[in-house]
Amino acid sequence: MSALIDVDGLTRRFGDFTAVDAVSFQVEPGEIFGYLGANGAGKSTTIRMLCGLLAPTEGRATIAGHDIARDPRAVKRSIGYMSQKFSLYLDLTPAENLEFFAGAQGLSGAERRRRVRDALEHSGLDARRDTLTGALPGGLRQRLALASARLHQPRILFLDEPTAGVAPDARRAFWRDIRAVAAEGTAVFVTTHHLDEAEYCGRVGLMVDGRLEALDTPAELKRTLVPGVFFTIDGDAPRADLRRALDGAAGVRGLQPFGRRLRVRLDPDAALADADALTARLADAGVADPRVEPTTPNLEDVFLELVGREAA
Amino acid sequence: MRPALIRTAALAVKELAHIRRDPQMLAFALLLPVVLLLLFGYAISFDLDHIPLAVVDRDQTADSRALARRMTAGDLFVPVADAPSAEAAVPLLRRDVARAALVIDDDYTRALRRGEPAPVQLLVDGADNSTAAVAMGYASAIAIGRVEVPGGLPYAVRSRALFNPALRSTIFIIPGLMALILVIIAVMLTALTVAREYERGSMEQLFATPTRRVEIILGKLAPYFVLGLVQVLLVLTAGVTLFDLPVRGSLLLLFGVASLFLLAMLGQGLLISVVTRSQMLASQVAVITTLLPALLLSGFIFPIEHMPLPLRVLANVFPASHLVEALRAILLRGNGPAAVAADCGAIAAFFAVMLALSIKRFQRVVGA
Repeated sequence: MSALIDVDGLTRRFGDFTAVDAVSFQVEPGEIFGYLGANGAGKSTTIRMLCGLLAPTEGRATIAGHDIARDPRAVKRSIGYMSQKFSLYLDLTPAENLEFFAGAQGLSGAERRRRVRDALEHSGLDARRDTLTGALPGGLRQRLALASARLHQPRILFLDEPTAGVAPDARRAFWRDIRAVAAEGTAVFVTTHHLDEAEYCGRVGLMVDGRLEALDTPAELKRTLVPGVFFTIDGDAPRADLRRALDGAAGVRGLQPFGRRLRVRLDPDAALADADALTARLADAGVADPRVEPTTPNLEDVFLELVGREAA
Repeated sequence: MRPALIRTAALAVKELAHIRRDPQMLAFALLLPVVLLLLFGYAISFDLDHIPLAVVDRDQTADSRALARRMTAGDLFVPVADAPSAEAAVPLLRRDVARAALVIDDDYTRALRRGEPAPVQLLVDGADNSTAAVAMGYASAIAIGRVEVPGGLPYAVRSRALFNPALRSTIFIIPGLMALILVIIAVMLTALTVAREYERGSMEQLFATPTRRVEIILGKLAPYFVLGLVQVLLVLTAGVTLFDLPVRGSLLLLFGVASLFLLAMLGQGLLISVVTRSQMLASQVAVITTLLPALLLSGFIFPIEHMPLPLRVLANVFPASHLVEALRAILLRGNGPAAVAADCGAIAAFFAVMLALSIKRFQRVVGA
């Protein structure tokens, strides 16, 4: 089966500024594709082009086989879209919101009523169908927005920062919904700046200054981009002391603050790449009672590595 | 049902829900016409009567007394004081005891008998120039009402104001008021509702559905079109019941013209909102481009014929003047479609330009 999202050399310039620079990728049915990057890296511009909202300057893309530049209306029929800024009308009830978005997709009559009812039940909103949407908690609102983007059963979902401003518990619930949607064969394209969420994605694309700098599964990105062994160091000593003890030492590839602790990345074959060696080194530097734990790389390490390369 | 209709209807239903959730807006939209009508109908009347008059009769003859009596016979002037001379009447005007003074010279009767112009003077308080103008008009109308010409036949000059015999300004004002109310509601509310979609980011969400731009426009504006027609009905009903507004022409034609005008106003509101894309800015632009023309350039209060050429041109570009003209023709003169065709053409042209500019702008903004 061919890819539902097929992007080739997609570029968008605003005057002299290149917001999206020759981006290419494919997304298959049932895949969750995470699109990561800092604010202004070109995530929303990409999504707006793929939803037929913005014409590309160069390159091409097809959504469910429809060319985004030549047939944006067919594209819009195939997709569900949750924008970053707006998802629902807060002065309407959940039922009214769903009725409206179903109507905007051309659904009517018994079919519309059935899908609205299902969506309300599915998002656990049946009891609150007549409260105003603005009075619902953020997480519930986002689940409702997801349901409203899916009323016409699109094969492709575009979610632009769907969990911005949502509490961690509600974020996890939302991602359960997304995984369930993908399991039904829908291609999900999701942007986020929560790097921990990207671990839920089948593949992740990393955008830096409009360019897609890396694209792979989270595990593969970590293996290829941030090879090495990772430790977290905890203790009563101030973090600055820990940092001073290790900065510039042989084999140290990176030092990152992580909560109260410090994350260290080391070359696998370095002398210090061992919990005991590291503890001894810290003790030599006068750090009292350091606790050294081996850990695994995360996507934040990958992202920082990429941004660091870009800056260098 | 065709998908285009389904989508348009969904937008209209959603807009109605927004309106329902905003009772203040709805109250404003429905009460404003009535409040304005009462205000203009009762409080702000351009008709004057019971003007306090000081009488200076230096002649003291039967003829001079007859003139003074004639002047104060109706409701227009009320005698409040007698003064021995014009000089003595001035302080009465200054103290606001009288607004006008009738000064009859001491050779009034003799001049009348000789067939010469009889010297009569009306002093008016020029500080209030609209009262002054009205008082002078009334006074000369009364004075020439019956002029005795010695040696000849007495003749009478009779004037009669057609269509509004009592020259009641309320009747004259209602068409203008209708224009005023419709511009406030139609342009303002349209501008706000579309700008709001931009502000909360929902316009982009709408664009990501298969809904066409024209469907968005029609669906969002349909409820305001109906609301506007309800207001026309309100003003008309209140005008007929409270102020004996005559409806001499066809009601169907009246609503036809009002509908056309409403479309033009919705078009203007739409253009304002797609250009400004902010509620704050849209409401300010709406006030400047609608209230001012409707109040000052519609012929509502100030006759357009007496304006300098540039203002006359401007008044003719804005549809408010054409609505006022057409409504007066239909309501007061009982004219048919032929008499209002030119005004309707001008309103339709304005609507076409607004719509074309809006759609052009609507598309350009989205592609950017």
